[in-house]
Amino acid sequence: MTWRFILAILLGGVCYLDRTAACQLMLHRPLVVATLMGAVFGNMGAGAQVGVVLELIYLARLPVGASIPPDDTGAAVFGGTAAAMSSSSIGLDAGSFTALLLLSVVVAEAGKVADRFVRKINVRIARLTAESVDRGDVQSVEQGLLAGLTLFAVTGMLLALVFSGAGVMVSRELLPRFGPASRGSFAILLPAIPLLGAAAAYSCSRTERTAAVFFLTMAAVFGGTVLLRWPA
Amino acid sequence: MTTTSALAKRSGIAVWKRQFLLQGCWNYEGMQNVGFAYAILPALRDLYANRPEESLKAVKRHLEFFNTQPAMGALILGASVRLEERVAAGDADPRSIGTFKVGLMGSLGAIGDSFFWGALRPVASVAGALVALLHPLLGIAAMLLLYNGVHLTLRRRGFDAGMKGPDEAVGWLKRAALNVRTDDRKLLAAILAGAYAGIFAGRLMVQGGGAPQALASLLVAAAAVHLFAVLFRKAVSPSEILSFLLFVGVLILWR
Repeated sequence: MTWRFILAILLGGVCYLDRTAACQLMLHRPLVVATLMGAVFGNMGAGAQVGVVLELIYLARLPVGASIPPDDTGAAVFGGTAAAMSSSSIGLDAGSFTALLLLSVVVAEAGKVADRFVRKINVRIARLTAESVDRGDVQSVEQGLLAGLTLFAVTGMLLALVFSGAGVMVSRELLPRFGPASRGSFAILLPAIPLLGAAAAYSCSRTERTAAVFFLTMAAVFGGTVLLRWPA
Repeated sequence: MTTTSALAKRSGIAVWKRQFLLQGCWNYEGMQNVGFAYAILPALRDLYANRPEESLKAVKRHLEFFNTQPAMGALILGASVRLEERVAAGDADPRSIGTFKVGLMGSLGAIGDSFFWGALRPVASVAGALVALLHPLLGIAAMLLLYNGVHLTLRRRGFDAGMKGPDEAVGWLKRAALNVRTDDRKLLAAILAGAYAGIFAGRLMVQGGGAPQALASLLVAAAAVHLFAVLFRKAVSPSEILSFLLFVGVLILWR
């Protein structure tokens, strides 16, 4: 298990760096992160299942200006890990899947607090950089940036450790406490969650002409899905 | 990579590489200021070689508040390098750089946020999620290719246009017609999101039964999507909706 956590920390650090500090190549998106965490903890498919749903849910919150969106990367670290671990213990049934998706909101909000904290510390780094430049030390700009990057990376690695640890704990300790019947009743909420994701993507893309297009496509694809099912 | 005569090619390349770290020290006060100064530093060292006083002043200029959409920052960075070249040659007032940056960062931020976060990312995300239903790795590849194909191309072209000067940068912006591209991608995102909703509504809500049940399922799913979209418009966050669902789930377990 130790090497899995080490790998999770390293991959988490890279993904968290991509989130704000470096590149923004979308390596931090839940689809990528949850799939990776699923692979690290033994079941890539289970991680991807969580990633597919989480990917869209937080699209509606844009990282504009000083606003910080919920930490969907952290939610994916937690969800991907917990899904992979659950699939090898109690099985990833609909109730467990629903519980993991809903519990990920706690993680996303905790990660947001950590992100805010890092940016506050960066204020101090930026001030120190400006003071050093005032004293004639141009090199301090590079040191300041390196300090900021290191802070983002270390925080990302810590969050990856904490959230993957939480995922393991939830799948090993919390979910097995509830029997299949309880988890089954929890699964009643599952249909709402992917639809929440679809609504988030729809809200992002909402213009005067997209509403009709969205609902017509939804009806057509739904019809196709139903038709494909009926012969079976 | 387009570089100007006074600027060594390696400095231009260094600036291009460093612009990926524009948000490396993002903070609530100066926002991307340290990242911008870090990115432009190789050019300043080149342009103000053997002039430490002026070099210091130039670095201070770029440590002032700066914030824009990170991919669009490449254009402002390129144009700032060109402006610094003019200042170093004595052809322009140093204050013109600050005016240019402040004038452009807000509008480019708005255009970039709308295009990259509001249109391109949803398209890539939904397409990736849909393809991932076939195979997770294919989904990831689709998402990364769709997003980064456009993202990296625009970064590169914006930077090159900026390096040709502020006028060329503004001309490129007009030619790029990002507002039209935003609308097109939003339409595509709506189609893909509709397909995603249709697939999940079909997967999760149809448990056998005939056409009336299927129609009822579709209507319930469409109503749910509409309700969520209305809640988003009323500034209710996805986290709040998920928290509410979690609360309902706990009540179900309690019962």
